[in-house]
Amino acid sequence: MNDDKTTIIIKRKGQRPTESFDKAKLHQSIVSATLSARTPDGQADNIAHAVTNYVLEWLESRPEVTSHDIRLVATRHLRSHHPDAAYLYEQHRTTL
Amino acid sequence: MDIASSLAIVTLAALIHASFQLSVSVLTLLSGHAIGARHSQARVMRLTFGFVSGVGVMTLLALSFISLVFLHIFGNEAPQFVWAIVCGLLIGVGLAVWFFYYRREKGTSLWIPRSFARHLSDRSKATKSGAEAFSLGLTTVMSELLFIGAPMIISALVLIQLPGYWQLVGIAIYSVISLLTLFSIWVLIGSGHKLSSIQKWREDNKHFLQFAAGGALTVLGFFVYVSKIVSDVSGAL
Repeated sequence: MNDDKTTIIIKRKGQRPTESFDKAKLHQSIVSATLSARTPDGQADNIAHAVTNYVLEWLESRPEVTSHDIRLVATRHLRSHHPDAAYLYEQHRTTL
Repeated sequence: MDIASSLAIVTLAALIHASFQLSVSVLTLLSGHAIGARHSQARVMRLTFGFVSGVGVMTLLALSFISLVFLHIFGNEAPQFVWAIVCGLLIGVGLAVWFFYYRREKGTSLWIPRSFARHLSDRSKATKSGAEAFSLGLTTVMSELLFIGAPMIISALVLIQLPGYWQLVGIAIYSVISLLTLFSIWVLIGSGHKLSSIQKWREDNKHFLQFAAGGALTVLGFFVYVSKIVSDVSGAL
């Protein structure tokens, strides 16, 4: 499994400072999207664990990725667990 | 222009205002963040009601302010050239809405400055109390003025011609009708509808909403031009 500190995240096409991958932050964002789709707490947490672990595996061989890449990969995997939550997660940046 | 025609114009302008989507987008984001943060349904409803109230109050204030300014400048009857300019503005904004209202990308992103959009998005995430939601509603109306300015200005021009009592009725009609969409979304959220369904409906129908808003603005511009300017000129001849 990938160490949280080894992958660098490039945010908003480099317009904001880079930061290290934060597993808790990704987990929380997936939980929020899943809860927004009116999913019970426990199920939201389980789905977020599964998606976060998938993203961690995907990051293992990648020292540097963009936040957009992470969103795409997380959305793709979240869609197989909860299509409505994946839709909300994907739409978050394009609602406004 | 008689009272019935004036109120009909105000009603159509308010319906056009209601079809604009910025406040609906912010309400969707706000409720999504509130539900995602595990707030109780009562708190979600309080926050979203605070937001809807803020939008309503700012709409009321903005229309009253524009009407008051016109009343001070023109008295009870604006000159013909002002009507002509405002009709041109309505048609211009209508065409702009057809071409530029939504960004050409997935989702429901609007052609508002990205700094405004980011600010509203960040504030909707940070909003924790009803008072903050209320002020977010006030700010949202200000951010949308580029589009809602035209229907508000024509409503104000129509309203200043009416007797005092009917001016208040007109302002009330405009404020209530312009809030209809937002209020419907608030009811849907309160009755447990999924945000994903609401957002999906908005995305699927965004081109229709864009066409309807732009078309209605253009039609309103032509209607007012014909009923106010052409009829006055032909009456004078």
